[in-house]
Amino acid sequence: MGRSTFIAFYRSFTRHPLYAMLNLLGLSFGIAVFIALSLLYRFETSYETWSPERDKIHVIGGQYFFPGMPDDIFIGSMGGLLEEMKAAYPHLEGVRDWSNPVTVHKGAEVYAEQIELVDANYLSFFKVPMLHGDAATALNTPNSIALSEDKARKYFGTTDAVGKTITLSDTEGRKAYTVSAVMRNLPKNTDSRLDFARLLTPQRMSAEENWHEWGSIQLLTYFKFRDPKQAATLQAQFPAFVNRQVGDRFGSDAKGSDVLALHLVPLADVHLIDPQQKAAIVSLGMVGVVALVLALINYVNLATARAGLRAREVAVRKTLGANPGALRRQFQGEAALTLLLAFLIGLSLVELSLPLINAVGGLNLRLDYRSEGLWLGGILSLVMVAGLIAAIYPAFALSAFKPAQVLASSRTPAGGHVGVRLREALVVMQFATVVIAFVLMIGFMRQIDHMQKADLGFKREGLLLITSARDPLISNGQRAAYLTAIKALPQVKLASIGNAIPADQESVSNSNIVRPGQADSATVSPTVNWSVVGPDYFQLMGTRLVAGRLFDVRYGGDQMWRDDADGREAADVTNVIISRLTVRRMGYPSPQAAIGQTARFANRQVRIVGVVEDMRFYHPASEIPAKLYLFDANPQNSPVIFVRYQGLSEPQMRAKLQQVWRRVAPDVPFEIISTTANLDKYYKPERDRSNLFSIGAGIAALIGCIGLYGMAAFNTSRRVREIGLRKVLGASRDKVVRLLIGQFLRPVIIASVLALPLAWLALRQWLSQFDDAIAISPWFFVLAVGAALVIALGTVGGLALASASTEPGKALRHE
Amino acid sequence: MIELKNISRLYRSDEIETTALHDINLTIGRGEFVAIMGPSGCGKSTLLNTLGTIDRPTSGQYLFDGVDLAQLPETGLAKHRAQHLGFIFQSFNLIDDLTIYENIELGLLYRSGQKGSRRQVIEAAMDRVAIGHRARHFPHQLSGGQQQRAAIARAIVGEPDLILADEPTGNLDTENGAQVMDILHGLNAAGATIIMVTHSPSHADQATRRIDILDGQLVTSVARVL
Repeated sequence: MGRSTFIAFYRSFTRHPLYAMLNLLGLSFGIAVFIALSLLYRFETSYETWSPERDKIHVIGGQYFFPGMPDDIFIGSMGGLLEEMKAAYPHLEGVRDWSNPVTVHKGAEVYAEQIELVDANYLSFFKVPMLHGDAATALNTPNSIALSEDKARKYFGTTDAVGKTITLSDTEGRKAYTVSAVMRNLPKNTDSRLDFARLLTPQRMSAEENWHEWGSIQLLTYFKFRDPKQAATLQAQFPAFVNRQVGDRFGSDAKGSDVLALHLVPLADVHLIDPQQKAAIVSLGMVGVVALVLALINYVNLATARAGLRAREVAVRKTLGANPGALRRQFQGEAALTLLLAFLIGLSLVELSLPLINAVGGLNLRLDYRSEGLWLGGILSLVMVAGLIAAIYPAFALSAFKPAQVLASSRTPAGGHVGVRLREALVVMQFATVVIAFVLMIGFMRQIDHMQKADLGFKREGLLLITSARDPLISNGQRAAYLTAIKALPQVKLASIGNAIPADQESVSNSNIVRPGQADSATVSPTVNWSVVGPDYFQLMGTRLVAGRLFDVRYGGDQMWRDDADGREAADVTNVIISRLTVRRMGYPSPQAAIGQTARFANRQVRIVGVVEDMRFYHPASEIPAKLYLFDANPQNSPVIFVRYQGLSEPQMRAKLQQVWRRVAPDVPFEIISTTANLDKYYKPERDRSNLFSIGAGIAALIGCIGLYGMAAFNTSRRVREIGLRKVLGASRDKVVRLLIGQFLRPVIIASVLALPLAWLALRQWLSQFDDAIAISPWFFVLAVGAALVIALGTVGGLALASASTEPGKALRHE
Repeated sequence: MIELKNISRLYRSDEIETTALHDINLTIGRGEFVAIMGPSGCGKSTLLNTLGTIDRPTSGQYLFDGVDLAQLPETGLAKHRAQHLGFIFQSFNLIDDLTIYENIELGLLYRSGQKGSRRQVIEAAMDRVAIGHRARHFPHQLSGGQQQRAAIARAIVGEPDLILADEPTGNLDTENGAQVMDILHGLNAAGATIIMVTHSPSHADQATRRIDILDGQLVTSVARVL
């Protein structure tokens, strides 16, 4: 790259600042979006890289095939799977991780934490980075505990906590444990939570009645393989293994593999196991690529437009002996310098905007030049290569000018019809992308708004969930006493208990329900998702009764059975309430027709006494499950307490409820969440991604405007004389303005026409993931095209006005 | 030095075929100062462009020191221009974004075998046309006469064998025109071969030979003794 290249590059900024800045800013914005979104993509696809064993480790996933239920792959297994698999395949190396709530005592204070009950070799299996202690032996004894450096600081004020004791309460009671190791904090890009870890003891396993219950999901089971082929070989044997182990657990007519498929999921794939989430991340990555492509299109567009203005320079250089190759090298050199500078500006923009991106996108991204140097170098190389490929066309266009023709003409060449059409086509492409992005943006916002406001079948506002009610340390007596106490609070309109919880699937159970005379089969009979609810549950939720009646403690038949000695006899018929969807699944012609009908459910006889409206508790993308409710005056199966309140702000109500809790259960940490906050975990990722997309779309629109402005400015500069002539011949300024604007907006209108069907397809595809999706309105397109036109008009309007205002005499002297 | 044999140049568009040069035969010796005259559109500039190898003849032979330039590829012609030719244009054709120094430097950029340091050579060329005091200025900051002197410095900085001047005084007033002619005379006296297209009979009279062209054909070629 010669001195003349540097001079030309430098002078482009001092002599043609508008063109140079348009070109540079367009590229910089595109590169910034590309860097930011590739940073996001890299973050999302680099989960669990903290473990050097990541690529060897697989986790057990499963897939159920129950009629009417989704068959997505989930991560998790029953507790005893490891033993059963080791018995069948003795060479396997595996560990388990069972997350449990735990209460940590520090003086009189109690703290709710999460502990991992793991096999003794867990730390060395994952090669967990240790600060103090030996990973191989730290969890060998039941009274040892490993904690993270953050938790060591929290409870001991130092990370050097080995040998100190800590008191925990969980289902095994209140015990003191000796700290045997301190683990380094894991980075942000992990789904693993390693705050506390202790040994999963045989006693704890034997206390768990579902430990070998095929169909239950309790914990995570990991296996390590030297190479992926071993995993694939084992995976191929799973159906036979499942059939052997499951036996007739799912019924005599169904093989285990008809109902359950086991999967070995690579640890690296776990974070994005949900295809929708993966698609969202890939889509955002694509937005980054599109932004870069738009910026490069801009570069080509502006560079070829400017090529005409540099034609005379090219001609002179050629007469002085420059051959086309030397000229191309010079122009490519200028492009390389522009790209390099744009990359640095783009990188700076990313640095400056990362706090904003993190805030609106709910992210934790950061640029670490030491550890990410190679990756950034890769991005730079990619940008340079892509940019230099894009710059080939302008370089060839420039170097192809014929000096004799250029020097003989007083006009600057425009690159001929092909050049003009190409530039217009590029602007069309840019604006088509902008219109598609606008349509999607509007669609995203409307769908997110709909999710947040839609009728879910229950009243989500003013509803608090006290989740500490399911803490294993809470006794039934404490639960009942607390419920009684808060019912006495004047602001508590209703309080109830149950495990049918919005946005909480901790105690989800599914079973078949069979009408008399119908086939009783796990693979054929309808499956319902069932929950246990206490008195006033439906009244509190605001659930609409469709037919029959709600539960009432006065009806003895409403009380569900218990498996303990106090329970009702198995021969009794239990009253249940089902949802409207269950009515359809069970084949009743109407909700009324279902009332009084009996069925076989979970090896019991049940009678339908009521039908309630479907309630959407889970992700808007998930189908609402067919639901069955059992009644228990004192539910004991992981219930939370529901509080419907009035007359106080949420913080004030929380404070009051906490006061009562402290009185009733001082040794158990108080945990509470509002239903709206709990549901927000489903909406927030969509909202965050929509925000990121909107930023990307906004910048794409900006780049498109830069391209349009560049083209309009170039065309105007070439048409000054024509405009002067038109005015001499009697055209008014307004007519000239209308003529110019009409011509400038032509590519935008063509782009809109081309973009609309593509935008419709893209939006339809995105909406198809939602069970409760909005309808696509023609207004989305009208608004998007309108916005694109207004932006385009704002971009070129001033230019058209200025050109049309030039005095004819001056215009005719223009060269 | 230069021998044109049966040179013709046709321009073809969809419907029209225009003959810009028709069967030109011309020999020019080293050290000559040739003026080409003729009415507008007669083919003067086409002839000059052909001599400058920025336009290729449709037919005929162009021998430069015995080498047939018609046979050379584009890169060969570019090298020929860099090594042997210097151009002076009516509209100066200085590059707006480069300073006068940098514009003159362009005359060396694509040329090999330069004698002495580049700076010295450029300064010497600027001194020959008395433009050294404007070295750091941009073209638009100079008068027409100064711009043309700078363009001449660019043309001669590489000490070319042949200087091609296309109406070098056409955009200048009488005084500046005379200055430019003086410089060309000086260059010719120092041994440079000059071919100049001009509309000015008085400037043409200052050349050692005058060639008249009409409708693409050579009408007269008159050698003069000055």
